[in-house]
Amino acid sequence: MSAAKAQERLSQVASHLSPSAKRGKDAVLEKSPDDIVVTAAYRTALTKGGKGGFKDTAAADLLAGVFKALIDRSGIDPELVEDISVGSVLAPGGGATEFRAAALVAGFPTSTAVKSLNRQCSSGLQAIAEIANAIKSGMIEVGVGAGVESMSQQYGPGAVTEFSDLLDSYPEAKNCKVPMGVLSEQMAKDRKILRSDQDAFAASSYQKAAAAQKAGLFDEEIIPLKVKWTDPKTEEEKEITVSKDDGIRAGMTAEGLSKIRPAFAKDGSIHAGNASQISDGAAAVLLMKRSTAEKLGQKIIGKFVAASVVGVPPLLMGIGPWKAIPVALEKAGLSSHEDVDIFEINEAFASQCLWCVNELGIDVKKVNPKGGAIAFGHPLGCTGARQVSTLFTELHRTGKKIGVTSMCVGTGMGMAAVWVAE
Amino acid sequence: MLEFRTQGFNGYGVKYSPFFDSRIAVSAAANFGLVGNGRLYILGLTPNGIVAEKWYDTQDCLFDTAWSEAHENQIVVASGDGAVKLFDLNLDNFPVQSWHEHKREVFSVHWNLTSKDTFCSSSWDGTVKIWNPTRPASILTLPTNSCTYSASWSPHSPFLLSCVSSDSHLRVFDVRAPTVSGTTNHLVSATSIHNAPAVSNTPYACTIDGPGSLLPPIPPTVPRLANGTFPPSECLTHDWNKYRDTIIATGGVDRLIRTFDLRMPSQGPLAVLPGHGYAIRKLAWSPHLPDVLLSASYDMTCRVWTDGIGLGVGGPGVSMGKTSEVVQGPAREMGRMARHTEFVTGVDWCLFGAEGWCASCGWDERLLVWDVRAIMG
Repeated sequence: MSAAKAQERLSQVASHLSPSAKRGKDAVLEKSPDDIVVTAAYRTALTKGGKGGFKDTAAADLLAGVFKALIDRSGIDPELVEDISVGSVLAPGGGATEFRAAALVAGFPTSTAVKSLNRQCSSGLQAIAEIANAIKSGMIEVGVGAGVESMSQQYGPGAVTEFSDLLDSYPEAKNCKVPMGVLSEQMAKDRKILRSDQDAFAASSYQKAAAAQKAGLFDEEIIPLKVKWTDPKTEEEKEITVSKDDGIRAGMTAEGLSKIRPAFAKDGSIHAGNASQISDGAAAVLLMKRSTAEKLGQKIIGKFVAASVVGVPPLLMGIGPWKAIPVALEKAGLSSHEDVDIFEINEAFASQCLWCVNELGIDVKKVNPKGGAIAFGHPLGCTGARQVSTLFTELHRTGKKIGVTSMCVGTGMGMAAVWVAE
Repeated sequence: MLEFRTQGFNGYGVKYSPFFDSRIAVSAAANFGLVGNGRLYILGLTPNGIVAEKWYDTQDCLFDTAWSEAHENQIVVASGDGAVKLFDLNLDNFPVQSWHEHKREVFSVHWNLTSKDTFCSSSWDGTVKIWNPTRPASILTLPTNSCTYSASWSPHSPFLLSCVSSDSHLRVFDVRAPTVSGTTNHLVSATSIHNAPAVSNTPYACTIDGPGSLLPPIPPTVPRLANGTFPPSECLTHDWNKYRDTIIATGGVDRLIRTFDLRMPSQGPLAVLPGHGYAIRKLAWSPHLPDVLLSASYDMTCRVWTDGIGLGVGGPGVSMGKTSEVVQGPAREMGRMARHTEFVTGVDWCLFGAEGWCASCGWDERLLVWDVRAIMG
């Protein structure tokens, strides 16, 4: 018998003697009936704001589409879903009324509750985390965390009301309304994030996404949606099926990107090619306890381990993932980011994503292996839920286990979550 | 107190024969079970003390053993290399059957007390297997997906078995129940052992007369979460009550003994019994009394407990010298045996004769045979 075997037995006995909770990678990979598991995670294609396949589709319609697919593909009895939480940023009134209606259209019964929430760009993840927590606490048994955004239809100055004199009188509060691009430009300058590095990161995102799309690596997570679409040239309304992200462009290089004019300052580094695209899309994740999934015969694709939310100064909102990821890992009991196989870190801007990755010392090869928001878009409320489907399909395809999703959040926050594929 | 030295071998499991009051089996391992050989001792209680009637050496450590309920000379062992072996005492040296299906250490074996033609094993590979000694392969594999330290048949039904594992859950399987999917084979319940107790153990109430709980206080050293529940903790042992057919006791790393009623397992444990200073390795309900439980622990003690619930006249612990008029009394520790000098890993009751005789084994290479009545305070 090998020494390794003896060591295993020794640590097993040692664990009997220390009553503290087990930690580390092995503990995270363990399965328990109490685990909050994911049995389905799907998204629509992400399409370009104002001109893409979903430009004429209401956010609630995208949501209804993804809900319907979630029910069909998972085989869940919709009667069993007790609550749905939908993250959305731009919808007037939070979209609460439309999302409830969308759930009914999709086939959920009136007994299924629906709410909307807004934590800016992390709304989709926040929605999932709230459903996971509701299941964990026993408030519900089965729930859906989702995210949706139609930036085509709802992006604009109406998203924020005029600040009051009171808010304007307090400098840090006033910083909350500094536009994302402007503050990111400043942060890139302050933290010396070179334009060339940003462009290289952005080009790589495009290249990875183009290769992944060509290889069909998104096909499993995307549910095709049939929608009406008006041809801008002929004004003709047609019915089209949208099944591919239409923002992905092949052949993008750092050199090509280096020619684009900066968008927020003359001598700036941020431009349309190294920032996230404005997009439309929806995503939904079905959650329950492992014991429930086994009872229902639901196929478990992975588990939700832990999530974190942190605050940072509003002008440094881009550093959110840098602060949130270690907290989530700590909560999950992981001692190092090296235990993580894949990171899905939202590419709000190449500058901030790259900075976080470098500052944390994460191997950039583990980050967004199928590209990110620079290549295929960032429909604000949708992204947090979208990342889950993208992460799980890639973990499964590559036979890897532990993943992290994270994003920076406007007004200065960060969120992160730890997932295990099964 | 009688003693036998398992020289060179650290005890892991001990079982009285269900057929002879003078026969005890001890499964043992060299080098504390970390690496090396195993040995199964067949011991006889004679007027001249305890003698080794036979022993069988094995390639790997033996973590548990169970006598056949059907054949007085047959006995199975749980081996560290994943094997389950059946020995026949009429033969020397070698097992009559060896099954090699578990992928990791087999940590428990238990014979079906009611149908008698099957036994089960549990392993660190996250499965429980059901076997028939005459068949070349296991009959059924029940997944737990978690290192499973102990599996046990119900003494009341030939179809029910239970197990506890490192994921802090007590699972009950009914082999008659339909399978829903690959992972829910026959599972009828999975209970979080760490759930908050049905009745809280209040800090002052250890008395029948006073207000509040009949349970002993849980010391502040035991970790609790804000909502009154306990953090999950590896469960190492459990046993079915021999008289109350829905009662199971569990014990493990968090040093607490708990009793559960399978009719309402999700409501949390009926009783939580603190006291052991380290993890609990073995629990055994009395074959004679419905409320009396024996435990063995890494804290080098064996302790005898009552969960306070006696059946019939007399009440709890009545025949153990503790006369009482009530049927429900306080749950409490009734005594401890501290003669072992290393971890105590196994303990079992003698089924015959005067109620109270038991045997314990441990890493101090000693089997002790003693009378529980002698240690009750």
